[in-house]
Amino acid sequence: MNLRQRICRSILNGVAPFLLCSTLLGAGNSPQVTLDMTKASPRSLEALTQRAIIRDYKFAWSNISSALESNSAGPLNGLFAGAANDWLRESISSQSKSGITSRYLNQSHRLEAVFYAPAGDVIELQDTAEYDFEIRDGGKAIHNEHAIVHYVVLMTPAADRWIIRQLQAVPHF
Amino acid sequence: MLWSTITVCKSPSWHVALLASVLLCAAPAAPAQESQLRVPSDAIAGQAASITTTGSGSGTFYLRGPSITLKHDIQLGQNIDLASVELQSAGRYVAVICANTCTSAGFFVEPAKPASLTFIVHPSRAPAGVNDIISGVALPFDQFRNLVLAPATVQFQLTAKNSMPATHAIQSRDGIAWFRSSSGKSAGPLQVSASLKDLTAQRIVQQVSSDPCNLRIKGQVTTTGILVETEPVHDCAGNPVPDGTVVTFTAKSGRDVSFVDAPVKQDVARAMFLASGSVVVSAASGVASGNELRIGSKESIK
Repeated sequence: MNLRQRICRSILNGVAPFLLCSTLLGAGNSPQVTLDMTKASPRSLEALTQRAIIRDYKFAWSNISSALESNSAGPLNGLFAGAANDWLRESISSQSKSGITSRYLNQSHRLEAVFYAPAGDVIELQDTAEYDFEIRDGGKAIHNEHAIVHYVVLMTPAADRWIIRQLQAVPHF
Repeated sequence: MLWSTITVCKSPSWHVALLASVLLCAAPAAPAQESQLRVPSDAIAGQAASITTTGSGSGTFYLRGPSITLKHDIQLGQNIDLASVELQSAGRYVAVICANTCTSAGFFVEPAKPASLTFIVHPSRAPAGVNDIISGVALPFDQFRNLVLAPATVQFQLTAKNSMPATHAIQSRDGIAWFRSSSGKSAGPLQVSASLKDLTAQRIVQQVSSDPCNLRIKGQVTTTGILVETEPVHDCAGNPVPDGTVVTFTAKSGRDVSFVDAPVKQDVARAMFLASGSVVVSAASGVASGNELRIGSKESIK
């Protein structure tokens, strides 16, 4: 149980805790995403595109967390493609076989656009992600850390959203 | 175990029991030696690696990676061998050992050497003679679909018919190399290739003529009206425009104005006006406009 959960539970102990805690935790567990586009080149990032990327990246991470916590690939539908999609699904499948679940809590993502293709059909982002990462075997937490992880991200535009094609953690940028 | 310790310590001959309790009871009753693990520092995707553990007794090993989760029993103090198939995805892995307590460590797996090039070229059809209209982006991936981030030199080559190839050597940055180029003067296929060592990816850009340039029209009076047609329509570089390019003919006769949109067919666009008397005909296509023709009754003017 992380600090936010402990505080929430201690404050609301006995006072309709479930509903209120769910609301508070839900707000806290929604990933925070910022995007710095000053280094985007050779094409500059339009304001609408910037908003769409933030919206879709945030939604993607929220759903990664849901999928890996519930071992269900459903939340991934339509948000990922290519290697990112396959890897996440394999991860869920192998977690499920092992009886493991994992959670990403209190996520914060600082995105920096480093490449935006001239034709606007691919963007590379560098994400400095910060979250509480927990691995559970059955009901027991076997690993819990506050992690700062760097991701190289490739996104491409689809019909009505940006989808993640590559989500690759690296030691540093 | 705690219960057995207490039993031994309550025995009457406590001097002997004290020693016995140290030997027999203390070890199980005391906390187990905490296990440690040492993870690989330079793991490469698709290559086997091992994790060193310390401690004794049995435990459970967990590995959580970008595309894999493992769990199996281990003997502490022995190496844990990770097969190449278990480390195919580049990224961050977390190894966990649990005995009495759990110990974990993270490590990274780096991409292997490039095994394929993803090459995106735009547009598939480009008008001839336009600056910076063709662009290409090349991304090297290893055989496990990891983006290779190490800098590498990608050779881009653009080859048009009857012309010398143009080559650009670009160093990849953050796993991406790209170029931008103008289209050639002549219509026809342009072969665009990206090469990285022994890897090559090829695409074709069809260079097509640009907008019509310098329209010229001619006309004649026929028994049914006035027939006007263009001379062969070309772009400014002399490439014939594709069939279907629309030319708009305008005929003015006094206050009456008539328009006819006619597609180019085999380089020429034609239109017929049902008019009599003096008519002024002009043509336009895109931003190009042609000469004006003044055609009188039973008159033929070029």
